[in-house]
Amino acid sequence: MSELTHAPAQKRFIGGQLLGSSQLVLGAILAVLCIAISIAAPQFYSEANIVAILRQCALVLIVASGMTMLIITAEVDLSVGASLAFVGCIGMAVLNSTHSLTLGMLAALAFAGGVGLFNGLVVTRLRVNSLIATIGTMMMLQGGVYLFTREAVQNHNRLASFTDLGAGYVGAVPVPVILAALIFVVAYVTLRFTTLGRYLYAVGANEKAVRLSGLRSERLKLFAFVVTGLCVGVAGMILSSLMNAGQPTAGRGFELTVIAAVILGGTSLLGGRGSLFGTLLGVLVLKVIDNGIIILGWNQDLQMVVPGIVIILATYLDIIRNKANVR
Amino acid sequence: MSVDFLHPGEGAAIDTNVPALELRGIGKRFPGVVALDNVDFTLEPGKVHALMGENGAGKSTLIKIMAGVYGKDAGTIRMRGREVDIKSPRDSLKEGIKVVFQEIALISEFTVAENIFLEGYPTGKAGSIDWKKIRADSAALFNRIGFNVDPAARTGSLPVSQQQMVEIARALAHEARVVVMDEPTSSLTPNEVSLLFTVIRRLAALGIAVVYVSHKLDEVFEIADTVTVLRDGRHISTKPIGEHSNDTLIQDMIGRRIDNLFPRKRGAPGSKIALSVESLSTAKKLSDVSFEAHAGEVLGFFGLMGAGRTELAKAIVGYDPITSGTITVDGHRLAPHDTRTGVKLGIGLLTEDRKSEGLMGELPVYQNASLASLGAFARLGFVDKAKEHKAVQDYVDRFRIKTPSLFQQVKNLSGGNQQKVLISRWLMRGLKVIVVDEPTRGIDVGAKSEIFALIDRLAGEGLAVVMMTSEMPELLGLADRVAVMCEGRLTAIMSREEATQEKILNAAIG
Repeated sequence: MSELTHAPAQKRFIGGQLLGSSQLVLGAILAVLCIAISIAAPQFYSEANIVAILRQCALVLIVASGMTMLIITAEVDLSVGASLAFVGCIGMAVLNSTHSLTLGMLAALAFAGGVGLFNGLVVTRLRVNSLIATIGTMMMLQGGVYLFTREAVQNHNRLASFTDLGAGYVGAVPVPVILAALIFVVAYVTLRFTTLGRYLYAVGANEKAVRLSGLRSERLKLFAFVVTGLCVGVAGMILSSLMNAGQPTAGRGFELTVIAAVILGGTSLLGGRGSLFGTLLGVLVLKVIDNGIIILGWNQDLQMVVPGIVIILATYLDIIRNKANVR
Repeated sequence: MSVDFLHPGEGAAIDTNVPALELRGIGKRFPGVVALDNVDFTLEPGKVHALMGENGAGKSTLIKIMAGVYGKDAGTIRMRGREVDIKSPRDSLKEGIKVVFQEIALISEFTVAENIFLEGYPTGKAGSIDWKKIRADSAALFNRIGFNVDPAARTGSLPVSQQQMVEIARALAHEARVVVMDEPTSSLTPNEVSLLFTVIRRLAALGIAVVYVSHKLDEVFEIADTVTVLRDGRHISTKPIGEHSNDTLIQDMIGRRIDNLFPRKRGAPGSKIALSVESLSTAKKLSDVSFEAHAGEVLGFFGLMGAGRTELAKAIVGYDPITSGTITVDGHRLAPHDTRTGVKLGIGLLTEDRKSEGLMGELPVYQNASLASLGAFARLGFVDKAKEHKAVQDYVDRFRIKTPSLFQQVKNLSGGNQQKVLISRWLMRGLKVIVVDEPTRGIDVGAKSEIFALIDRLAGEGLAVVMMTSEMPELLGLADRVAVMCEGRLTAIMSREEATQEKILNAAIG
């Protein structure tokens, strides 16, 4: 579906199918980055570093998978960062009191899914613009987490399975990477091959048309909000496992990284256009930049500056490409 | 800005022998397309010159060149005999050409007076803006065109018809010699249209050359002195309107004859009631509307602007909420009142507003066509694309939808072909009742007859077609029965044989 909805179709007939893909631009950027960094710092290609990059990508990719669906429906969720921190605290607290990873995980999913449901209801029932609604939720969660706990919820249970969630490996692959890959594949298949996926694109492309066709557009959006929430639930538990604590201060700015990756991947904020494969590339580009800055020993504040530049540049390239297509 | 406009005819005396504007051999190409090829277009002062042609004929390119939006690739432009070089909208305005586009380009947050003098506010002492003068001058301008708009009103709060008057006043403020009206009546009521025509005649009487771009034949016959027809970027004909008939104009526009705009191939409607609406009311518009539509019948609804046709269309398919009444489709009541139930029972709406309610412009043709019937192409939630594409291709062939492929973004298709895609969407789903709202809005004359033939065919296949229209010929040409609305009420239902224009209009006025 992605390349069909993506490439302005004229391209197919002047043989420019490859050029028609904004993923190509992104792939090229990624390749250039990798080559440049590895020339300057050969340790970039060490196994340890690649695993580290993938682990870094995992958290973002998990949430970005849900967020891609949501943005394709022309909505957005800015509360995912705040929710991530809150979820970690709640999951950890439940884990401490029950000593059950399952219950902790369920609590995290229930909370994060609940946040998604709340966002979705506010947007579809009260018709509050999702940008505003989820800023509201973000503020409620950022303040609310301190009502829940003033400081980090420490890990008191020493469950091996919980530690594995963030730090474990299956073979050479970190557990978070496997979880991310699973979620990515499910989301990818859903968007690309199922009726549900098609409806998500449709509702983003024209909600009224979808409703006139006898489909429940609000439920589709609600679904995307809840899925995004559930992804945050998974990511929140992984994060608290990695930090061995539920940190109320975690996740600041996380929503921006996630949305940046999705937009960078070519998904349109206007809805109806986008692909998960692009999101994957977007996440990789951002995280390779992060990693490169660390490896090259640059000032770490550039970790925010450089991605900012990349986003503007990539979007601009996309506009140029589209213009070229129109002509 | 000078104040000459308050004293028309002074200074530059209008010489009627010199063309107000003369375009010669205008050429314009876009990559892959020749939009205009050696087009001549000459405007006499004080005359209304209609510019006609189908979508893509080059009308808008030509007026955009006049407006300075596009540069020309070839040819010359003369204003009153003097060759001019128009490079930007600013140049165009300076030379005295004012184009009133369909999408009106006023600043909606500004007042009327502010908009009129946007390009140069008269200033008083110490360079401060002379508001009093602006208001007085605006009022004087409106006086001249014989139409009063409050200069202090916020522009965005005015109806389109009055915003057009503001644009015309702006033209006078710039001492325009040429005023171009681009499809000015597309969102006006009949009353507003006749007011606009009065103003246009006034402009002509002031010696201004008016270009009237439209594809509505009746309007052109009413207002124009001369008609120029473009087709495929070429100049086809320029004639006094008196030398044209409906048929010759259409022939010039589409390059072939249409023998019968309303071919009727279907038989007589059946007696089975497909749709029954009883005392339907909505909060805002409709009150106590009752009617029945039979299988195989085209039931045409006529009404003036604001009569409630679109509201009725949206209410009976379950899209808009109702306050009371019942809707029964093929024997089953539409309850709960939503489109999900509606579509299940077999009633669907072909919207008047394709862009905002029908098409998913960014998405390919096949996805637009299959939207309502996707479930039929799915197994366990997975779409069987081969099956889907085959079904859509079938409709593309049957309806002769002109598209390079199923993967073309639907926004790149012409209006007529987009409409066919949307009709396919419903036929693929299988309906008992289709409600079509202004089915030929924004569609070329040539494609119109195809849409009419399609509607005829739908009824022929046993659907009940409920057609909302403001076009009298469409109504009389297609409908088996005519229903007339006025201010949310149903004022008459008559058979095709009883229906005359006069009866219908009387009922529409209430």
